[in-house]
Amino acid sequence: MSDPYKILGISPTATDDEVKSAYRTLAKKYHPDNYAGSPVADLADEKMKEINQAYDTIMAQRRGHTAGSAQQPSGGYTGYSYANSRSSFSDVRNLIMTGRIADAEQILNGVPVEGRDAEWHFLKGTVLYKRGWMEEAYNHFSSACQMDPNNMEYRAAMNQAINRRNGVYGGYNPNAQPVGGCSFCDICATAICCDACCNPFGGGGCC
Amino acid sequence: MEFARAWRALPAEHHKEGDLVFGYIRPQKFELRVREYEQYRAVYCSLCRQLGDRYGIFARMTLSYDCTFYALWMMALHKRCPSFQEGRCVVNPMKKCGFCTGGERELRLASALSVIMVYQKVRDNIADDRFLKRLRSYFMLPFVSRMRRKAERDYPELDKIVALATMEQAAAEQNPGKSIDFYAEPSAKMMEQVFAFGAEAPELSPEDRLVRQAGYFLGRWVYIIDAADDLEKDLREGAFNPFIVTKQLQSNCSPERLKEVKAEANQILNATLSQLIAVVNLMDLQPFGSIVTNVIFLGLPEMQRAILFEKEKEKHVGPV
Repeated sequence: MSDPYKILGISPTATDDEVKSAYRTLAKKYHPDNYAGSPVADLADEKMKEINQAYDTIMAQRRGHTAGSAQQPSGGYTGYSYANSRSSFSDVRNLIMTGRIADAEQILNGVPVEGRDAEWHFLKGTVLYKRGWMEEAYNHFSSACQMDPNNMEYRAAMNQAINRRNGVYGGYNPNAQPVGGCSFCDICATAICCDACCNPFGGGGCC
Repeated sequence: MEFARAWRALPAEHHKEGDLVFGYIRPQKFELRVREYEQYRAVYCSLCRQLGDRYGIFARMTLSYDCTFYALWMMALHKRCPSFQEGRCVVNPMKKCGFCTGGERELRLASALSVIMVYQKVRDNIADDRFLKRLRSYFMLPFVSRMRRKAERDYPELDKIVALATMEQAAAEQNPGKSIDFYAEPSAKMMEQVFAFGAEAPELSPEDRLVRQAGYFLGRWVYIIDAADDLEKDLREGAFNPFIVTKQLQSNCSPERLKEVKAEANQILNATLSQLIAVVNLMDLQPFGSIVTNVIFLGLPEMQRAILFEKEKEKHVGPV
């Protein structure tokens, strides 16, 4: 394994708190929630494992143990599972899990319209999402939730899609209140504000 | 005249010209470090020079932020760390500007992409029904054809990617009643291939998969924001626009309805961007990593704000 400190982006002289904070920042960045339904979720998962391992190694070294026996602090990060024993589409779920998206879609498209239940819409949405067709996916998730409002799996996918649309994972949110001193809502204000910050005679603080 | 306007505007003032699609991908200037800003400008100026040297002075008019970003990203992927030197602006010798030494390969590629895309855009406009647009494009055709022939000789594969995607895009837009995803697909796929072509990573390697995904979502984002940007104009002129089709807009629809559609466009862009950000976080981009993330995390959202939430007249953001 390569240098665990390098993986966490810190120096070997970092304090325990710094190690923890670096670990948390990276774990947040590569958290499966950010990659739910993404075609590169497996790469994020690998990165997550690497970070977990690096963290364990450092912590074990510092406690005087060897790394091998350490438990992962967050071994539960495996992403969403599409396995569901009560599913009438277990074949499709298996295909999605193994990344065979085109095959999964083919089976789904072969289901006659009257057989398209909430789960069908959920799985169709999942497949479309993986292809980057987020708008149609969103509509299918929303149909799934309407047909079966109590299903937590569908609800979770729907909430994810809504959060992404609302800018929780980046982008522009027109309703967001500016955080901190400077408002990004107004370029000119920001310019003036930055001016004030840079200018030693301009007084202290932002806005 | 479009051309005259573009010429006057070069290079310091060059920003999104009415007809060229390629100007949405730019950094949020205030958030760049001075060093990063100078590096960005240097790549921009070097690309301008490269365009002139390789494809003639008219090719300089095709210079765009989008292709500058492409050059930057490719340098970052190839771990090409150019050094910078001071020089004079090729268009306005009174102006000093930085140039990069090194990164020639990426600049050559980006300049070829620039003229190829503009050529396809001009061809596309000639097929358009609107008389003025056609006339203008006829006038430009001999110039852009010449540059494109040269670029095609340099990068035949790149030319093929863009030509095919332009055809597919036109064909997709002939289908009524489809989704935004459907209409955005050819442009997204084009950017995916253009990125993969430039990256030269072994097929299906993690690098290749990441760069393809990044290209896909960036291409999708550009297509959607361009459509949202042109919404009013297309409504007035009765031209194709994916939002007019999917939202069944009429030319006399209320400003409130337009506002609603733009808010929805913003949501679609956010969703697209969230995927792009996730991909970029997995990529190892050095040098220029901080410029690339500035563009994607801040520049693109800023563009959404300026285009979708500002009044028509004040819409266009100034030059970087």
